[in-house]
Amino acid sequence: MTSAIRVRGIRKAFGDLEVLRGVDLDVNSGDVVCIVGPSGSGKSTLLRCINLLVTPDEGEIYLGDVALTNPHIRPEWVRQQIGMVFQQFNLFTHLTVKKNVTLALRHVKHYKRKEAEKIAISQLTRVGLADKLNSYPAQLSGGQQQRVAIARALAMGPKAILFDEPTSALDPESIQDVLTVMRRLGEEGMTMVVVTHEMGFAKEVADRVVFFDAGRILEEGTPDEIFDRAGHERTQSFMKKILR
Amino acid sequence: MTDGVSPQATPSPLPQETRTHWALRKVFAWSIWSRVVYGAAGVVFGVLFVLELGYLGVYRLTYALSVLNPLYQAFWVSLEVVAVILPVGFCLGFVIGWARTTRFVALRGLASAYVDFFRSMPPLALIFFFSLIAGLELRGSGVNPYDIRNLSLWMGVVALALHTAAYQAEIMRAGILSVPAGQTEAADAVGISRIRTMFVVVLPQAFRLSLPALGNEFSSSIKDTSLLNAIGWMELSGMALNLTSTSYTSHYVYASLVIWFEAAILYFVLTYVVTRAVRGIEDLYKVPGLEVAR
Repeated sequence: MTSAIRVRGIRKAFGDLEVLRGVDLDVNSGDVVCIVGPSGSGKSTLLRCINLLVTPDEGEIYLGDVALTNPHIRPEWVRQQIGMVFQQFNLFTHLTVKKNVTLALRHVKHYKRKEAEKIAISQLTRVGLADKLNSYPAQLSGGQQQRVAIARALAMGPKAILFDEPTSALDPESIQDVLTVMRRLGEEGMTMVVVTHEMGFAKEVADRVVFFDAGRILEEGTPDEIFDRAGHERTQSFMKKILR
Repeated sequence: MTDGVSPQATPSPLPQETRTHWALRKVFAWSIWSRVVYGAAGVVFGVLFVLELGYLGVYRLTYALSVLNPLYQAFWVSLEVVAVILPVGFCLGFVIGWARTTRFVALRGLASAYVDFFRSMPPLALIFFFSLIAGLELRGSGVNPYDIRNLSLWMGVVALALHTAAYQAEIMRAGILSVPAGQTEAADAVGISRIRTMFVVVLPQAFRLSLPALGNEFSSSIKDTSLLNAIGWMELSGMALNLTSTSYTSHYVYASLVIWFEAAILYFVLTYVVTRAVRGIEDLYKVPGLEVAR
């Protein structure tokens, strides 16, 4: 197994607030890594650092052999390699579903309209929304919007996708739709880093679970190790509350 | 029915929609054609009513009609000026509003200084500054005095365009700032460059959001053209003032009323056409599902 993403000693502070305090993380290619932990512990910031939406203060991030933290690397290039799915979907509200997916293909990869649309249709079919091509995001349910967002990320053909609490803004039914799509992606061998509060999903799909607290990784291991035999007291108390 | 079945169990079918029903519904539906027809009918009735009042002797019809023609001529002058002020003001306002939101400090500072200056000047003072300075600069330069006069007249129009540009810049800035940060973040996350994000993600949404306020500013700047008579423009207000001053002294108050009433109607027409056009553009940019009310 080669590591797709390697994070080494990442630190990030916003003013006086230290959000990340030295994080090391390895994500093997084809793995699904779930990051769990309390709110405000820096999980989202870590994801944002990985695709350079946030520039880390210290430390290195590698994608394969390429150091993303190298100042000569264009952030635009990095983001073509690593897709991202947001908690609030962030679909382009003024564009149809089809255009949401093709926008980056047209403007970043400079594909012809026909080619871009072909990719859009195949990716939207993959998330089960081929019939919504010409709808606008505001006409879709939350779960459908999130699946379009996943298709938008997939269309760029990324090496990995980062999910930032993809189901936190959804109703229980939509959550299952989105998780089904993500589960299938994981089975197809997509490298995924998922920040989530869906412990069921983490248990079932994750190859590794990372417990995050106060800006650093407290514990990591297989789902069984983290959920049932957590070594750390903080992890145990968190799991006890979450799993009831 | 005869065996006492309750009416709830077998609800009587809704009456079939007849052809007349359908035709009536079509006619009275609030479609674009019915709007045109109702609007035209309203105008015809209004005109007939006003003429009728004239026949009845409420005002002197012949006099009212005699001032209509010069006012109508002046209406086209106003339209000409508006046709310069609105596009120039919009383009400039668009660019300056954008400049106010860039990361380039120098550009932002320049745009802020522009807005601060032009927003705090009374438009009348601006008109005087621009036209007088243009006249003074060219005096004795050998340029044809007729051309100098013409130029200083148009400098007054430029002053108004720059004035409305400052307001439109602020409207545009508000529009750009009200596009949620998540939109640019999503564009970043798929690798679209900053400048392209501006063009394909932020500006289309900002434009849609600022249209109602832009329509407001358009209608306001149309009426600001009435200040241009101060430097000698014979536009609608200039002509109205001119007509009142040349009317018989004994009729002064009466004549003023009639003349300004007619001028007001023409201003209304001008503003209404422009604001309706903006509404039309608003409809064009409407996103299905996004706006529940309009």
